[in-house]
Amino acid sequence: MTTGAVGITAAIETVGLTKIFGAVRGIEQLDVRVEPGEIFGFLGPNGAGKTTTIRALLGLYRPTAGTARVLGLDAHIDSVTIHRRVGYLPGDLALFGRLTARDHINWFARARGLDGTRRARELSERFSLPLDTRAKDLSTGNRQKVGIVLAFMHEPELLILDEPTTGLDPLVKHEFEQLLRETTAAGRTVFLSSHELDEVQRVADRVGIIKEGRLVLSETVAGLRKRAPQTIEVVFRLPVDSHRFQIDGVRVVSSQGPHVVLEITGAIAPALRIIADLDPVELVSRHAELDELFLDFYRNNTVMTASDVD
Amino acid sequence: MWTDVSRLDLVGRRRAILSYTLGMGLYALAIVALYPTFEHTTGLDKFTKDAPTVAALFGATGSLISPSGWLNVNLYANLFPLLVLLATIGYGAACLAGQDEEGTLAMVAALPIRRHRIAAEKVVAMCIQAALIVAVVTAVIALGHFFDISVSALDLWGASLGVLLLGIDFGLVAMAVGAATGSRGNAIGVASAIAAASYLVSSLAPVVTWIRPARFASLFYWSVGNKQLTVGLGVSELAVLLMTGVALASVTIAAFERLDLH
Repeated sequence: MTTGAVGITAAIETVGLTKIFGAVRGIEQLDVRVEPGEIFGFLGPNGAGKTTTIRALLGLYRPTAGTARVLGLDAHIDSVTIHRRVGYLPGDLALFGRLTARDHINWFARARGLDGTRRARELSERFSLPLDTRAKDLSTGNRQKVGIVLAFMHEPELLILDEPTTGLDPLVKHEFEQLLRETTAAGRTVFLSSHELDEVQRVADRVGIIKEGRLVLSETVAGLRKRAPQTIEVVFRLPVDSHRFQIDGVRVVSSQGPHVVLEITGAIAPALRIIADLDPVELVSRHAELDELFLDFYRNNTVMTASDVD
Repeated sequence: MWTDVSRLDLVGRRRAILSYTLGMGLYALAIVALYPTFEHTTGLDKFTKDAPTVAALFGATGSLISPSGWLNVNLYANLFPLLVLLATIGYGAACLAGQDEEGTLAMVAALPIRRHRIAAEKVVAMCIQAALIVAVVTAVIALGHFFDISVSALDLWGASLGVLLLGIDFGLVAMAVGAATGSRGNAIGVASAIAAASYLVSSLAPVVTWIRPARFASLFYWSVGNKQLTVGLGVSELAVLLMTGVALASVTIAAFERLDLH
């Protein structure tokens, strides 16, 4: 049984998880921990290893090295028990073309040994899913709705969702985000893989960023907001020497005569003291948007975890 | 439920299976219905006597105008097993590797169903499809009684059982290769190549001396290449075909347990 510092079994925990495909790297030494009841946003550019991680978590891939535990169980050895307790929405959802949404729901319910399809019917109504159209004739968005219903219909303890809002219109996306919040409010956990930065920062409690198969960040969204660098634009009465701002935690973004733009990470007081000495006439401050921060992690190789931040 | 995966595949392919079975049944009916037209055409036998090697390539050996010879050259030695193989190799390659390439297999494998059960149910689905085709065609051939074709029912159904097991065995080759490589193309290619070589060896063995010893390695020999229509399917032949099937099914299940699914 895998437990954290407070003795709670992690919903997901990987240690040194590695998957290599011949000469191609999938994921490498991946350490991820997802706590029960949270929405964990798993971010990364295309080809970063998000889907590989998910498939390893579900036992669809055999890991080359390392371990993956889901709901305290070994992802490979106990895959059937895990599948019973997990809802999965694949990123490249493929349905059986000749079957209708209703056929899919009935078949999945039978395969899962469910007594009925009440929850599936509720979700279908909520998302206005056409139940009697063959999958091959459904639009991309409606096919995705079928995938959502199939993933949520047995009210699983953990949802593993790979790019779940692909093809959904904004109204349905909004409804889906509401469903995610209701899910965690009921004490269940969501592992949400996405490259939709906006979506993740709206719904996730914590984010992990994977790049080239490695986790480069694991942090709470609140913590990220707190430590996101501030951008300060200052206009002075007279042109200033920007070298005055060469202190720890301050980066001069631009300097043109009396107009200076600074990016400040950490304490703001030292920079403000310098600014005050130089006779400022105008000052505007704003926090960097989270998506800027995410993009920065996409571009750079910095590896950072919550412990680094704390 | 134990039949969920089998049923899913069978329901998805029901139209194709029924159309294919109907087509083969009609072809078999045409063959038996044509027999009275040719049963006294002794010139046909001259073909196998004058050019035995060429005739053997088409599966024709011995008399062509005897009831069993007629059925053998038109159905059992070539088209019947080949068309059953088309169905079984096609399904064998599609049911694991093909569905993995499409992405539907991962949806099934992410359900609380053990992998060996998924593979076993696919084997069952293939057996059901092949059995339906073989049963319908054999039932139609049995109508040959009304067209002067007098073949023992036991021998006829025995030979058909040989065709069924042959089809299942090659379908399992495709499944095993698909489970080992995850490639539908590889599965079809390898199974078809082995089937073609097996057919050639069995067909030419009666007339080409140096090929003759190799006939024991040909599944065609054990199913339709040893006069099964006149002497029935022997116990040793049945055992070889069944054991091959069991071995291939075991390999398929073991390989599928290790396959990375997409």
